[in-house]
Amino acid sequence: MAEKIREEKGLIVRHRIVELIEHWAIALSGLLLLLSGFFQMPTANRYYFTSLPGLSWSGDFFVSLNVHYAASILFIAAALFHLTYHGMRGDMGMIPQKGDIKTSITVIKSFFGKGEEPPFHKYLPEQRLAYAGMAFIIAMLILSGLIKTFKNLYAPDMSLTVVLAATWVHNIFFALFVLAFLGHIAAILLKPNRPMVRGILTGSVRLDYARHRHPLWLAEMEMELANEIPAPMEQAPAPAVLLEDPQPAEKVDVIPAPDQETDPSGKKEQS
Amino acid sequence: MKNEKTPEISRRSFLKAAAGAAALSGLTLPKAVHAGGGKQLASLIDLSLCDGCSDREAPACVSACRTINKDTIPPIAEPIPVPWPRKTVEDWSRKREVKNRLTPYNFIYVHQAEIDWNGQKKTVYVPRRCMHCDNPACATICPFSANHKQTNGAVVIDQDLCFGGAKCKTVCPWEIPQRQSGVGIYLHVLPTLMGNGVMYKCDLCNGRLGKGALPGCVEACPRKAILIGPRADIFALAEERATQMKGYIYGKKENGGTSTLYVSPVSFDLINKTMRKKPGQPDMPTGVERRMAGTDPLGKLVLAAPALGIAAGAAGAFKWLSHRKAQMKEGGKDNG
Repeated sequence: MAEKIREEKGLIVRHRIVELIEHWAIALSGLLLLLSGFFQMPTANRYYFTSLPGLSWSGDFFVSLNVHYAASILFIAAALFHLTYHGMRGDMGMIPQKGDIKTSITVIKSFFGKGEEPPFHKYLPEQRLAYAGMAFIIAMLILSGLIKTFKNLYAPDMSLTVVLAATWVHNIFFALFVLAFLGHIAAILLKPNRPMVRGILTGSVRLDYARHRHPLWLAEMEMELANEIPAPMEQAPAPAVLLEDPQPAEKVDVIPAPDQETDPSGKKEQS
Repeated sequence: MKNEKTPEISRRSFLKAAAGAAALSGLTLPKAVHAGGGKQLASLIDLSLCDGCSDREAPACVSACRTINKDTIPPIAEPIPVPWPRKTVEDWSRKREVKNRLTPYNFIYVHQAEIDWNGQKKTVYVPRRCMHCDNPACATICPFSANHKQTNGAVVIDQDLCFGGAKCKTVCPWEIPQRQSGVGIYLHVLPTLMGNGVMYKCDLCNGRLGKGALPGCVEACPRKAILIGPRADIFALAEERATQMKGYIYGKKENGGTSTLYVSPVSFDLINKTMRKKPGQPDMPTGVERRMAGTDPLGKLVLAAPALGIAAGAAGAFKWLSHRKAQMKEGGKDNG
């Protein structure tokens, strides 16, 4: 079981080290790609970025292209690693599920004080939707970027139709990537989501937060433990029967809410 | 959009033009000219033949090019939007008569080089225009793909797509493309924040080539100093002429290779010494490096990155699967 409850520290492992590396490799290289891609527009000289300390290189298109290429190597390799690794493991926890759009609306309303948010699995429904959207944007950026790179290296006289399509897809999805990034940052700034920031920085979130907000995730873990199913099924969405079965539901109920937590040591330590 | 059709007339016209040139220079045509060629074209500028049309008001190639392109640039916006924050505006619309440098209204000019050659004063006339490079950075890294190398080798800017950011000019070792502010698509987007006009340069008369006609400069040259034809034939002819005149070739290796070859009886190092690089008046250093070649190694790694990611992901997943299998086996034993 990948997730580990550390009762003594009041933490639960939400992301394994490999997932943290994937996330930050894509995030940091993605930011560098945004910056160097912006300089390629061309903007550095016009907007005086070249005058800023440490950014004098930004006006040299060959230097910024090399920076763009270097960041792309990490970005593409990390994205393809993610797809292959989790695809082969059958990790489906972030794949959107039926009803996610409707539930997301309920959740977003709850952020503004309208109604209660429903209990969550490991990921929120809007996280699953955002993941699918971001994955699509990244896939289009990579595909169009590879065509452009191939053209730069081997085929400057490639079909103009293909070049134009790749260029405009790259430019449009560049803008969408900026919007998606801003949306991602906005989401983690929302108060109910803030405890998850710790998760993507350290791998663990507070156990009381998880019990309060992600009871279905904990229930899945319990069920797996009971069935002695090794990882990574904990990332898969809980089967519908779990929600209807009174027995697992009871297990959810026995997880004390943060303000009711009296004897954490009474909970079974999971390794 | 300019079409990419290979000109049907290229071989016939080349033969005709080359025959005239051969008659003038006393050379015979190489057999390769008759043997057929590929779709790619190249042009040859023979400096031993060019006399700068000193008996005319302007060189014939310059006049022909200007006539052909007199209506290329649409009317200029009045007033021209001033870009922000760098307030560079380039307006040549009131200086259209300029012929001694490259401008958006003048795609070719002739440099006059006075050279001491073997103890004698010699005047060499050097027509200057776009070299139509083999791997042109101006086209490959245009952020809107408004500049593109056609299959016939012509490097053509589509003025309907160009935003006039002048990136092509910056990366060109000869800084050939010239900007006219106040025209183009940028006027309809964010004129003060993005773009600044349209870049203009020689397109090898690609439109005329598509219709089976010769480029204006080739057609107009009274001494047949400029030729165009199948690339292999032009390259062979350049070599032959250079050998005959014990001369030099420029453009074969410069910037990674081009489809414009100059042949000269005088060394290009000496010619270059007569050129002082100024805006719109490029110099002609030999062995100009293709700076974009410096990005090729990382570019190749980018193309390899998907395979690297997939291999690493598969290795990680197989490791996990075997670990899981061992765990289950162990669990089975314990339970059994």
